[in-house]
Amino acid sequence: MIKLSHINKRYPNGHEALKDVSFHIEPGEMVFLAGHSGAGKSTLFKLITRIEKPTSGQIFIDKKNVSRLSEAKVPFLRREIGVIFQDHKLLMDRTVFDNVALPLIVIGMPHDEIKKRVRAALGKVGLSGKESQKPITLSGGEQQRVGIARAVINRPSILLADEPTGNLDEALSDEIIDIFADFNQVGVTVLIATHDLRQVERLAKRTLHLEQGQLIGDYQHNSQENNAGNIQPGTSQEQQDG
Amino acid sequence: MGNYFIRHTQVFLATLGDMARSPAATINTVLIIAITLLLPSLLYVLIKSSQGLSDSWQGRPQLSIFLQKDASDAEAQLIFQEIQLHPAIELAEFVTPKQALEEFRLLSETASFDEELEFLGGNPLPASIVLMPNKQSANSENLTELKDQLSKIDGIDTIRLDLDWTERFNAIIGTVSRIGLLLSILLGLGLVLIVGNTIKLLIHNRRDEIEVTKLVGGTNIFVRRPFLYYGTLLGLLGALFSLAFLLLAAGLVDEPLSKLASLYQRQSLVYQLEAAEVAAIIVAGGALGWLAARWSVAQHLWRIKPR
Ligand SMILES: Nc1ncnc2c1ncn2[C@@H]1O[C@H](COP(=O)(O)OP(=O)(O)OP(=O)(O)O)[C@@H](O)[C@H]1O
Ligand SMILES: [Mg+2]
Repeated sequence: MIKLSHINKRYPNGHEALKDVSFHIEPGEMVFLAGHSGAGKSTLFKLITRIEKPTSGQIFIDKKNVSRLSEAKVPFLRREIGVIFQDHKLLMDRTVFDNVALPLIVIGMPHDEIKKRVRAALGKVGLSGKESQKPITLSGGEQQRVGIARAVINRPSILLADEPTGNLDEALSDEIIDIFADFNQVGVTVLIATHDLRQVERLAKRTLHLEQGQLIGDYQHNSQENNAGNIQPGTSQEQQDG
Repeated sequence: MGNYFIRHTQVFLATLGDMARSPAATINTVLIIAITLLLPSLLYVLIKSSQGLSDSWQGRPQLSIFLQKDASDAEAQLIFQEIQLHPAIELAEFVTPKQALEEFRLLSETASFDEELEFLGGNPLPASIVLMPNKQSANSENLTELKDQLSKIDGIDTIRLDLDWTERFNAIIGTVSRIGLLLSILLGLGLVLIVGNTIKLLIHNRRDEIEVTKLVGGTNIFVRRPFLYYGTLLGLLGALFSLAFLLLAAGLVDEPLSKLASLYQRQSLVYQLEAAEVAAIIVAGGALGWLAARWSVAQHLWRIKPR
């Protein structure tokens, strides 16, 4: 579903944000992307959604070669991927409804259908009745959930979440990560960037570990047989194509 | 297909909403566009009105023949009949001294007209005949010849040939038309710059919205559509306003001109725009607005990239 092979990313200022990163995430997997601040987690997401282009290497999303995609096809790639951005990227002068509806407006969905879907999505993230408020009047956690509702509104097959629990307390963090787990339950491929190791251990999912732009670990937690924190190097995901 | 229509309706309504949300700025821009469009339209109406005026002489020079003051009515009628038979003449109109006086009275603004007339010792105007030559004779060479022939008739005092004036008039109209064309092109360019700049500011104010729209999968066509609507709508509104101003201006000059108009057996000397011309002004406004938006979007929109 998401496959990176030998990805390098050097920013125009010469900073090497990613160095020879390769991994493969299967459809329906839920994976954590762990690493310190500046490790390159956001950069990785930007490459997957073609906000940035890799300096070298290949990225495949659902068999599509992202780095070779023409500009005209980029919007269609982004429609398949729901993204929760680290800085929210909410429109503060628009209502919650308008924010969440945007991915549907963009594809020209009829208004009645949009209304139904927005209601359902806001219900799912526990924000029913907040449609006509401006995000600025919401708490940090509520804003985060508006972002989640917007990311899932178009029923994407892939969800990327960049620090979705950033400044939230433990209870709220658990709640939000559980929302992602729910989506994963119904077959959505989920990749969550976080330095919240508590969540990584609590859910015991596969974890990619980035350190200064390099992938230094690809662990498969096995929650059935091992306690959280007891991690094994992953082996099943190391297929090399081509 | 249904989606396509829905999308456009949504954008159209949203654009109207955006305009209504900042009414002062919108009206400001619309008025600037209206005035920019008004100048060439005014000039056009002016030229058309002048042409209408010269059309009532059917674009042909006139000959005015003034009979001798002491000619009797019978003599005058005889001269009139003789002239009518001349092959070079298409239309001849007999103007009695009384009719001439009435025309003069209409044109004169003085209230004491009758007193002045008395002072002059009665109607000083002679009977006259106004001639319109036929098409073949309507050139200066033939007209001069005609004038010579007619002046040999007994009982004619003077003949006035309005040739110079007609030619000069046509030359002036031609010059004004050209200046008008040049002015229209310049003002059209100005309009594109005005609307283009408005769109540029709009794009700048909506950076965030544009960025987020691109992030959630909005195509370039989708992102630029509201701006194209905005420009087109501004142009259309500007055109409508300029038509309103035009109507106002025509109303203002129509009244004082109405006396003159009655001399030409015309309701009004001001040219009435035809439906097609009204449509052309509206389409021109919309098209220029669209063009300006297209140009502005091409310059500024691509710079906004999601980060
Ligand atoms: N546009 C850019 N130009 C230059 N350098 C950049 C740019 N974006 C990111 N970087 C650098 O690349 C490195 C990785 O940044 P990135 O945002 O991917 O880190 P991160 O893992 O998401 O960190 P955090 O956990 O703080 O969000 C950082 O050192 C950062 O300074
Ligand atoms: Mg980051």
